[in-house]
Amino acid sequence: MAEHKPGSTVRETQDRDPRVGEPLREMLERRGGRSGRERRSVAADLDGGQRLLVVDHLILAIGSLYAHLPQKRAAYASDPVQALVLLRRRAANLTDAEFHAELSLIIVGLRDAHTRYVGPSKLHGHVAVLPFLLEQYGPADTPEFMVTKINSSAVSESSFVPGVKLLSWNGMPMDHALRLHARQETGGRLDSQRSRALESMTNRSLDYGPPPDEDWVVLGYRDESDGEVRELRLDWRVVYPGPVDSEVPPGSAAASRVAIDPAREWMRRAKRLQFASAGERAVDPSVADAIPTLLSDVLAARRLTPEVGYLRIWSFDVGDDELITELTRLLELLPSKALIIDVRANPGGLVWAAERILQLFTDTPIVPVRFSPIASPLMSRLAESPFNRLDLEPWLDSLNAAVSTGELHARPLPLTDPEWCNDTPRRFHGKIVVLADPNTYSSGDIFCAGVVDHAIGELIIANGDATGGGGANVWSSRMVRDALAGLDDQLPSMPAGSSYSLAFRRLQRSGVSDGLAVEDQGVAGQRYHMTREDLLSSNQDLLGHAIRILIPTAEHEEMR
Amino acid sequence: MWGIRGRILPLSNQPDLVEDEDDVFTGRVWIEDGRILAITRGTRKGPPGYRDAPVIDVRPNLIVPGLIDLHNHLAYNTLPLWTEPTQQTPFEHHNSWPRAKSYATDTTWPAYALITACPEELLAYVETKALVGGTTSIQGSPPMNRPRDGWLVRNIDDETFGTGRSDLIYVSVLTASSATLAKRANSMRDGSGFIYHCSEGQRGSIVAREFTDAAAAGCLQPTFVAVHANAVDPSVYADWTNSGAIAWSPFSNLWLYGETTDVPAALAAGLTVCLGSDWAPSGTKNVLGELKSARITADALGWELSNAEIVKMATCRPGDVLDRAWGRQTGRLQPGALADLVVFTASSRADPFRTVLRATEDTVRLVIVDGIPCYGEPELMDQAQATHAGPGPTTLRVGGRTMALSLTRQKEPTQTWEFSEVIARLEQVRADPKANIEQAQARMALFSGNLDDQEAPLRIALDMPTGEGPIGGLPKDLDKIVVPPLETLTHDDQWLASVRDRGFHRGVLDELASFYG
Repeated sequence: MAEHKPGSTVRETQDRDPRVGEPLREMLERRGGRSGRERRSVAADLDGGQRLLVVDHLILAIGSLYAHLPQKRAAYASDPVQALVLLRRRAANLTDAEFHAELSLIIVGLRDAHTRYVGPSKLHGHVAVLPFLLEQYGPADTPEFMVTKINSSAVSESSFVPGVKLLSWNGMPMDHALRLHARQETGGRLDSQRSRALESMTNRSLDYGPPPDEDWVVLGYRDESDGEVRELRLDWRVVYPGPVDSEVPPGSAAASRVAIDPAREWMRRAKRLQFASAGERAVDPSVADAIPTLLSDVLAARRLTPEVGYLRIWSFDVGDDELITELTRLLELLPSKALIIDVRANPGGLVWAAERILQLFTDTPIVPVRFSPIASPLMSRLAESPFNRLDLEPWLDSLNAAVSTGELHARPLPLTDPEWCNDTPRRFHGKIVVLADPNTYSSGDIFCAGVVDHAIGELIIANGDATGGGGANVWSSRMVRDALAGLDDQLPSMPAGSSYSLAFRRLQRSGVSDGLAVEDQGVAGQRYHMTREDLLSSNQDLLGHAIRILIPTAEHEEMR
Repeated sequence: MWGIRGRILPLSNQPDLVEDEDDVFTGRVWIEDGRILAITRGTRKGPPGYRDAPVIDVRPNLIVPGLIDLHNHLAYNTLPLWTEPTQQTPFEHHNSWPRAKSYATDTTWPAYALITACPEELLAYVETKALVGGTTSIQGSPPMNRPRDGWLVRNIDDETFGTGRSDLIYVSVLTASSATLAKRANSMRDGSGFIYHCSEGQRGSIVAREFTDAAAAGCLQPTFVAVHANAVDPSVYADWTNSGAIAWSPFSNLWLYGETTDVPAALAAGLTVCLGSDWAPSGTKNVLGELKSARITADALGWELSNAEIVKMATCRPGDVLDRAWGRQTGRLQPGALADLVVFTASSRADPFRTVLRATEDTVRLVIVDGIPCYGEPELMDQAQATHAGPGPTTLRVGGRTMALSLTRQKEPTQTWEFSEVIARLEQVRADPKANIEQAQARMALFSGNLDDQEAPLRIALDMPTGEGPIGGLPKDLDKIVVPPLETLTHDDQWLASVRDRGFHRGVLDELASFYG
């Protein structure tokens, strides 16, 4: 029986501290979303006409431009377009909360982190958080859950420290709670759903989904000092991690060549806000042998052993030339015999960045992955529009031909010019292992596909079977709207700041995996179960495993 | 109401005004509200109220309908003539040259820089270039995000006469599908015009079928304008019994393919043949250059084509074709017609058609569009501008003369826009295309409204093939974009020299220089 310790509830005395934020409950009440049927709505009110407009936009986008529609219909035996049509009929009769809940359900049902509905939230840019980081270790069928970081500014309970094992969540066994929550998450496979759910158990972008159903959670955990099982109640709080300023300039050619999970960038920033600060109590507070980098937001590098280097790529939201230059510099400083490249939880970014860096690690000519838009009459009209020709003209002939060939997609073409993928000499000649996980997404998938398909190195998947499976180039609703300008199909602007993101061009792998889809499937690698030691000691076992692959005779102790 | 007195070549088809289409006489053109109210011979009295109306006297100079350029691509008209250095033989057809190695870098990229970074200045420059050649209506306005009625030159593609209707004239630069052609055929049955670039290439090449596809779709109607159609066997022109028009661009055809449309065959089949300069990379600078190219080509091929017929190809012939879709005549000076006219330097006894055909930018004295003096010699512009409200003109050097131009920004119609500012901005973009493109992209991204709002930043697109290049059409490193020096507004010595020994015209077009000596 769990023991409840009165007084262990978080003291909410530091509400002005941006790292702590404001309790969700209070924020909802303050913003008028606490009463009656509207209790759970943080959305601005949309009248019936505005709701129709929102649904019309999504019917047009999902029904005519969504790259994965045939695949999603097949994979989930569902018809999102018909669901939207039905919702349209009832939209005006629903409460605001019901409308947004149903809409979110349809879109999340696509299991596609690229394709998201952003409601007219009064909380744009805010993230609901619990003040700790939750991670999983052990075999998939008997996972254990550990708290690995705590925002000490928001938690005063002294027994709740990094390293405690979570046993229950609101009275449910942890694994069961995770399974339930995973149903509401994107991800085309169970492992990717669970992986994202594990992250969003404590961290949810309010742009891309509804707020948590509960105002607080009651955690059951084992106090490591005395072995007692205790309970702790922690409020959901809302933080604002600051604007996400992409390195890709809006409106530029690069902006239409992005492959990223848009929600994850907000979540990543919320994590940094909470844990990368003076109040952080982390398992891994210091990193020895780190090599300073100018791109510290996306890169980290250090020497693990005299022979093995470690390169962390947090994100591909960075200019490709900039990334190549900095990687070239870092590779000069890292050991030359072997390298571990860690792209776990990398949410993606600029496709060019992910593909162009591959050439630094191989002599094999890089063949970029290829993308194809769905073959629909509207897509043909888009491609024919003179305003879109620079971007879409290469697909035009095959789009028009699809009427008679029956192809579901236009022909696949690279977004990264093959010349750009092969314009820089190889910089690293040693052996390589790449670490990824089911949260490695989109351009992260693309990088991993490049590693496997060009035999650059071995791919290890932590706590999963494959990378996240974000197989598309993603466009914003603004980009879709601008592309529709001048066509009869264009609609009035989406109301009240609502928007969406959309998988616009479907990704296929190249090289030895030519034609294989990445969406939902991800890039498979050697499975690795994270260990308790990994979570407590800077991925020690994982890195040791990688080192043994790289240098079979090396002693794991060397790393220490 | 105001009037202009001079020697008039009205090219009218109204028997109560002229004895025949070629009639020329001294008289007055009376203008009101953008239309020609009346034309009177000699000193005969004008319409009611004429005694109080100001009259500009341009005698003995020649007043003719404003020139109509029925085939162009304005967005590219700052660029020089283009050739692919490795191309040894004439191109096969219109899909051949966009594959040339230098095509995208020399045409698409610099044009993209200007349409993106300074669209309004680009339009001001290229439309001025047309006006300088006496052009009052031009086809080939680049696609843009919001309608633009009446500014400098009359844009045939965009003109709605204030109605906001976008269905008066349809244009397709790229090859259209059979379904689209069929749709356009029905639009034409409903009264629209359709200008279709088709069958451009060497005779018998594969693109010949584009014309027959258009025919099969039902497009061969009176409001159909087939641009080029030089690849087809001339015998098929006879199938066009309900005859429309062919837009003929002899310079461009010879430059790219070494051969051109069989004009005598088209005329024999009853088709209307009109002239178009085509775009700067393979065309003349304005339709005055194209008139001469037509003369040279006809002479070189031994065609019996009179000066009168060639001049009509840039005036009343396209005017009649447009009238079918617009319900308004702009190629003939006669009551009810749009008041688009041009004054050329001429002696009192000069052959009017020879005068127009041999006219150069130096002999254009005044250009009036929609009844508004747009460009001309300062003294004439002063007189003409006194007839209507509006800001004063800006000045610019054209050849050896200082000329006046009525130029305002589209959003500031009451304030003069100095032409020097236009040039300065274009040069600014030329100097650093990358920075200026990126700034423009950022500005566009900041605009949150719909792009077709009147308040939206002007956004224009390129209408020609983008060419072979990276996916996305542009270099990843925008620093690789080089914008060549702005082509001058006239057929100057440098341009004429660039015609010699280039292209595939086998020296035929060298003769152009003789008109500009």
